[in-house]
Amino acid sequence: MSDLDTQTRDALAELLLAMADDEFVLGFWDSEWTGIAPILEEDVAMSSVSQDEIGHAKALYELLAGLTGDDADKIAFGRPAEAYRHAALMNHARTDWAFSIARRFLYEHADAVRLESLAASSYEPLADLAVKMRREETYHLLHFDLWLRRLAEGGEESHSRLRGAIEALWPDAQAVFAPLAGEARLVAARILPESLEALRARWLERVTERLQAVGLAVPPTAGSPEADGRTRRTDEFAWLHGEFTMVSGSEADATW
Amino acid sequence: MRDKAGPHDRVWEVFRQEAEGDPMIHGGSVKAPDEELATHYAREFYGRRQESQRLWIVPRDAITELDDPDLLKPPFDRSFKRPGGFLIKHKLEAARERAGSPQVDEVAE
Repeated sequence: MSDLDTQTRDALAELLLAMADDEFVLGFWDSEWTGIAPILEEDVAMSSVSQDEIGHAKALYELLAGLTGDDADKIAFGRPAEAYRHAALMNHARTDWAFSIARRFLYEHADAVRLESLAASSYEPLADLAVKMRREETYHLLHFDLWLRRLAEGGEESHSRLRGAIEALWPDAQAVFAPLAGEARLVAARILPESLEALRARWLERVTERLQAVGLAVPPTAGSPEADGRTRRTDEFAWLHGEFTMVSGSEADATW
Repeated sequence: MRDKAGPHDRVWEVFRQEAEGDPMIHGGSVKAPDEELATHYAREFYGRRQESQRLWIVPRDAITELDDPDLLKPPFDRSFKRPGGFLIKHKLEAARERAGSPQVDEVAE
C-alpha cells in the first residue's frame, strides 16, 4: 500500500519473502514424494498438499511483487540460492518418510500459529490472505498430526526414525521464528500483531503437547533462534535450487 | 466381485454430491486402513478440486450386494412390469375422442 513509509514497506517485504520462501521450498521438497510415497493414496495426498504450498507461495510472491513493483516469477525463480530466506528447517533434503512427516508436523504448527496471528494484521491484503490460507491449512494440520501419531505408535522402527528426525530438526524448526530485521517496526504498525518470540512460545506449547501425547520426547530448546536462522544455506538446498530453477534458467525472459 | 481386503487395505466406496440438494452419486473407491485416513484420501481423490459439496465414505464390506441373476434377471419376459409395459395408445385416443380434444399422432408407449 502506498501509505506505508519506505522502512515499513521494506520490513513487510522481508516478512512476505520469508513466508513465501518457507512455503515454496517446502512445497518443492515434498513434491519429490510424487510417485514414491508409501501408498498410492498417500502419493496423491502428499502431492496435492505440496501443490497447495506452491499455491500459497504464489499468492505471497504476488503480494510482495505488488508492494515492490517486482515480478512474482522473477522473485520465485530468479534469485541465487543464497538470496532465499526460508527457515533453516527447509534446508534439508526430504530424506525418509519419517523425516518428511516430522518436518511437516513442526512446520504446519508453526505456520498455523503465524497465520492465526496475521489474520488480525493491520495490512489488509495480508490479513485477507492469511484467512484464506488458514482454511486450507486446517486439512494439512489434520493430515500431519495423523501421520505423526501413526508413525509414533506404529512400531519400534517407525517410532525411532520419527524420534531421530524430530531431534535432528528441532533446532532448525525454531528458525521459522528467527528475528527479522524490521520486526519491531512491523509489530509497532500491527502489521505483525505479535512478536515472533511470542508466536514461538505458542508453537512450542502446541507441539510439546502433541509430541507428549504420542509418547515422543521433546528435545531441549537452546533459547531463542539464532539471527542467521533464515540466511544460512546448505548444499542440499543448493541442489534443490538447481532443480527448481533449471527450466526457468534454460531460457531467460522466455514467455511460457 | 468383492475384494478380499486385509486390515491394511480396506476398500472404501466414495459417493459425492456436486451441489446441495443433488443426489449422492458413486464416485469411485479408495484404499485405506481406517475411517480417518479413508476420509482424507476421499477428500484428495473426490474433493480437492472443489468439485464436491459432500462426500459419503462407506466401507465396502458394509455394503450388501445382490447380483443373483435368478432374482434380478429371471428368464421370462417381464416387460409388462415396466411402466411402459401396457399399450395405452388406443385407450388414450378413445378417451380424447370422448373429451373432444384434438388428435395427437404420437403417444409414447
